[in-house]
Amino acid sequence: MWDLLLINPFTNALLWIYNAIGHNYGVAIILFTILIRLITWPLNGQQLKGAKVMQDLQSDKEWLDIQKKYAKDKEKLAQEQMRIYKERGINPFASCLPTLIQFPIIIGLYQSITRALATTPLGLLQLARGIYPWFLNTSVLIPLNSRFLWMDLGRPEGIPFPGGFAVSFLPFGFPTLAIIVAITTYLQTKLTMPAPSTSNPNDQTAAMTGMMSVYMPLLLGYFALTFASGLAVYFVTSNVLGIVQYAMMGRVNWRNLLPGGKQPALPAGRKK
Amino acid sequence: MKRLKLVPLVLLGAILLSACASSAGNVSSWPGLVADSTNAYLADGNNIFAVRLSDGAKVWQYPDKAGTPKFLATPVLTPDGLVIAGSAGNDHTLYELNPGAIDPNTKSPTVKWMFSNAQDKWIASPLIVGDTLYAPNNDGTLYVLKLATGELQWSLPISHSLWGTPASNGKLVFVTSLDHFLYAVDPQTQKVAWKVDLGGSVPGSPAVSADGSTLYIGGFTKMVSAINTADGSIRWTAATKDWVWDAPALDGDTVYAADISGNIYSLGAPNGKNAWPDVQPDGPITASPVVLANGTMVVVTESGLAYAFDRVGSKAWGVGTNIGGKIYTTPVVSGNLILVAPLGADSLLAALNSSGNVVWKFTGK
Repeated sequence: MWDLLLINPFTNALLWIYNAIGHNYGVAIILFTILIRLITWPLNGQQLKGAKVMQDLQSDKEWLDIQKKYAKDKEKLAQEQMRIYKERGINPFASCLPTLIQFPIIIGLYQSITRALATTPLGLLQLARGIYPWFLNTSVLIPLNSRFLWMDLGRPEGIPFPGGFAVSFLPFGFPTLAIIVAITTYLQTKLTMPAPSTSNPNDQTAAMTGMMSVYMPLLLGYFALTFASGLAVYFVTSNVLGIVQYAMMGRVNWRNLLPGGKQPALPAGRKK
Repeated sequence: MKRLKLVPLVLLGAILLSACASSAGNVSSWPGLVADSTNAYLADGNNIFAVRLSDGAKVWQYPDKAGTPKFLATPVLTPDGLVIAGSAGNDHTLYELNPGAIDPNTKSPTVKWMFSNAQDKWIASPLIVGDTLYAPNNDGTLYVLKLATGELQWSLPISHSLWGTPASNGKLVFVTSLDHFLYAVDPQTQKVAWKVDLGGSVPGSPAVSADGSTLYIGGFTKMVSAINTADGSIRWTAATKDWVWDAPALDGDTVYAADISGNIYSLGAPNGKNAWPDVQPDGPITASPVVLANGTMVVVTESGLAYAFDRVGSKAWGVGTNIGGKIYTTPVVSGNLILVAPLGADSLLAALNSSGNVVWKFTGK
């Protein structure tokens, strides 16, 4: 069902783009990622709006007061929180629902990119079955031209060290793309997460931002180092588009890049 | 404390991402199978297993633990009983194992030589011709090694990914490629003697006629072609209903082929005329058919069944034998046994007798 509804349509669309632009899979990945980002733009907007409202609430005086007052009475605290939500017309799930809807789309995008690479016999068989014969001529399309810039998108990326120099833990050479993935992931995490607030020292968002900005670049950098470089191209494109999208919505927190960059504490009771 | 609570959340996210990424990096198995008169040799994912034909017991496995090598390519047996297997893992290594020298600690065969100069995974099996090994790699290069030592003699960059085991008529070596071409390589000149565009990718191997004059080959263009080995000219083509994944099988003047929609074709070798227009047992077929000594033809399907047909296309075993799982690998005949390697079944290897009954199953233990 997952394949039927999501992966196959995505794979066909991706390969249609690949065919239309003259068999360049790297450019096809970039264009397809942009297309999916455009389609999910309204959802992203809703998510951002919801997240902003919830973030503002974290530094609201009344909100902070009830946290303190009912710290030991969880039931009462929940009632008070619901009251505030109702009074201010806030939907606490407003930021979660768009994310939940987007999540399968992002996973589908990711899986369709890897499926189209088809680097093993089983992968090729699976790809062949997912292509609509009335839509694309599989015999002509396969194999995909996986060369893009200096990379073979079906293999991990690496620029050979000069003079045949070898490093045992870098079997594919100097991992340029993995480094770019790590840097862009770091930038995206830092720039798109809400700025930590000085008014709430126990701000969970700040803690999460700190951890995500360390773990995510390492994790995605490792994936880029180990897996097919087509995925790394997707990571970089997605990261850059994420930053651009947030910037266009005026949500990029450049201060997060500065050492010790904190959001100033809001005056008590002030609503943004 | 709150930071500690976030750790599981971040880890959960990492695991989810890992799950997504695994499809991109993992090598999906596609078992490779070969046998001599005493053992079957099965390449299946992390290991190569030697299995005794008399009772299906494990003789050895290599390596003793799961490691970097991942084996998709069918192992190749040398005339002196050594086993050559290429890894589809990140090590890109071709191993020659010596079952006559078992390591007392690991109980696995020792490695006689390794060849690690290829740039990509090994999906195709190499071909032995005399004292030379012709090894096509996924990096698009044909590596030619000295069989005894694994030393590189010469290499020929061909094109794109090479997934099919080469064939030879004694003069030329025929290499298929996903780039739609069939290449004839002349070992004397170390160059391509001729190439022919087949119009679609060819992931499998060609079959060579007994006299070496004709190649029979399928591919992704929904046809089987007969090609003159002298110059690459096409003698005839026979339309199929879907892709023919692997090599046709030859039985005298008959060429058997099967497609991934499950149709089986019995083509006349001189003209390509199909004598079996409507034979379609059940599931898709990627493996080559095999012909038994009595002329019975056996095919295996993705549905996990094995079928036998007589020369007029009637089922020889009644209903098919259910092995289970999905079968992509060409069966191997050794003595009275037909060996079948399913994927995702309760066993890694099953042995059938000539009536299609299961004699034993090997589970990997």
